[in-house]
Amino acid sequence: MQCRDVEVVLEQEGLAPLPEAARDHVASCTHCQGLIADLETIISLSVELPAEVEPPARVWVSLRNQLEHEGIIKQPVAVPAQEHSSLWEGFGRLFRSRAFATVAVGAFLLIAAFLQVRGPSEPLGPPSGTPNPLWQTAKVLNEQEIDLRNMHLSSTSPVDVALEQNLQQVNEFIADCERHLKAEPQDELAREYLSDAYQQKAELLSAMMDRGRSVN
Amino acid sequence: MGTRLTGRNLTPILATTLVLSSGVAAIAASQRTEKHFAVNGRPVVVIQNVANGRIEVKSSKNPEVILVTNQNSGKINFDVEQVGDRIDVTATVLEASAQPQELDTSLQLTVPEETELQLKTENGTIYVEQVRGDMTLESVAGDIHLKDVSGYIIVKTTGSSLVCTQCAGKLDFNSVGGSAQILQPALTNVNLRTTTGNILFDGDFIRTGLYSMRSGKGVVEVRFSGNDSFDLSAKTNMGTVDNQAAAFLKPDSHGSRWHFPSKFTHGFIGTFGAGLAKVELSTFSGTIRILKRD
Repeated sequence: MQCRDVEVVLEQEGLAPLPEAARDHVASCTHCQGLIADLETIISLSVELPAEVEPPARVWVSLRNQLEHEGIIKQPVAVPAQEHSSLWEGFGRLFRSRAFATVAVGAFLLIAAFLQVRGPSEPLGPPSGTPNPLWQTAKVLNEQEIDLRNMHLSSTSPVDVALEQNLQQVNEFIADCERHLKAEPQDELAREYLSDAYQQKAELLSAMMDRGRSVN
Repeated sequence: MGTRLTGRNLTPILATTLVLSSGVAAIAASQRTEKHFAVNGRPVVVIQNVANGRIEVKSSKNPEVILVTNQNSGKINFDVEQVGDRIDVTATVLEASAQPQELDTSLQLTVPEETELQLKTENGTIYVEQVRGDMTLESVAGDIHLKDVSGYIIVKTTGSSLVCTQCAGKLDFNSVGGSAQILQPALTNVNLRTTTGNILFDGDFIRTGLYSMRSGKGVVEVRFSGNDSFDLSAKTNMGTVDNQAAAFLKPDSHGSRWHFPSKFTHGFIGTFGAGLAKVELSTFSGTIRILKRD
C-alpha cells in the first residue's frame, strides 16, 4: 500500500479502524503518520467546539403548526436522515448547527489543503468517483442550501435580496470552476479559486440562515 | 358675497393640508441625539448597526468622541456604552414589524485622529475620513468609502464596493460581488479578493511592498507610474491579460523564483525598474489590464 492508498482509505472510511494493510504502511511511513496526526488534531478541535442547545421537539412541532396555520409553509420540511458512521458524516453533523457551518467548511478546506500540500496531487474526480474533500464540501454546502430553501424565506429587504444575488453569483462561479476542474483536474490555481468560493458560500449561507431565523 | 367650497377648489386645499400635516409628522418623528464621550489616548469605537443608514466618521483634534444619531422613527434603539476608551454603539430594531423606511438612520462620529474602528452595517454606506488606526469594516449591501486613512484596514463586504482614496498602511479586502478601487495609495501591503467584482489599483507601489489582487470573474486593472519599481506576475486560467505596458516591462530578472503554478495558467511575468515591490495579479476567467500612467 502506498501513501495515496492510505489517503483514499482515510477519505472513505475515516481514521479508525484502519485496515491492516494501511496500518502496516503507516507504521513505517512518517509522511502518513504526520497526516493522521494532523487529521486527529483537526477532528479533536472540531469536537471541542461548544454545541448549540437544541430546542425541544415540541418547539419545532408548535412552530411548524403555527407556520402551516398562517399559510407560510404548505408542506412539511424535509428533515435529512441522521446516520453517522464516517468521518465525513461526522463533519456533516456540525452543519446542523448553523453557527458552525462556516467553521466546519473551514475544517474541510484545511483538510483539502493538507491533502494537496502533503501528498502527490490527486485529480479532482467527479462526485461518483473517489471522495475528495472539495467534493465533500460541495455536497454539504448543497445540502445546506436545500435546507435554506426549505425555510421558505421570502423577504424582499435590500439586504436579503443582496445576499440572494451574491449566493447566485457564487454558485455560478463554483459551477465554472468545477467544470474547469473536471477537464483540468491538476489545475492548482483553479482549486484555490474553488476553495475560496466554497468558503464564501458557507459564510453566505450562514448569514442567510441567521437572518431567516431572526426574522421568523 | 359668500365663498363656497366646491369639490374643485377644495381639492388643492386638502392636498396642501395633507402635505403640511405629513411634513409636520415627519419632523415630529425625526429624532436626533448627540452624545459626548471624553477619552484618553487612542480610543476604540465599535458600531453594530442593524438599521439602514449611513455611518460617517471624521476626526478632530479634541480628545473626545462625539456621536450624533438621526432616525426617522422611534423604532431604533441605540445602546451606547463607554468603558474606559472603548465605546460600543449597537443599534437594535424595537419593532420587528417596522417597515424598511422606518429603519432609516444615520450615525455621525467625530473621533480623535488616532482611533481604532470596528464598524459593521448591513445596508448603509460607511464613510471614514482622516482617521489613523487599525479598522475593521463590514457591510452586506452598503458601499464603503475611505479617504485619507491609515493603519491595518480590513474590509469585508458581501455585495458592496470599496473606494479607498489616499489610504496608507495595510489593506485587506474580501468580497463576493463587490469591487475595490484603490486610488492614490501609500499602502505597503495589499490583499484584494473578490469573486465577481472588479479591482482597480491606481497609484504607487511602495518599495518592498507586497500587492496581491485577485478577482474570480472581474477585471483587475493596475495603473503604475514611471517612478515605480516592482516585479509583476499576471496570471489567469481562462481569462485574458491585456498588457498595455509591455514596452516598459522587462523580462523577469528573478525568474528562478517566480513560476506560474501550473501549465494551465497563462499570463505575464516582468519587472519594472529594479523590481523592489512584488505585485501579483490573477483572475480565473476575467481580465487583467496593466497600464502605465502619463
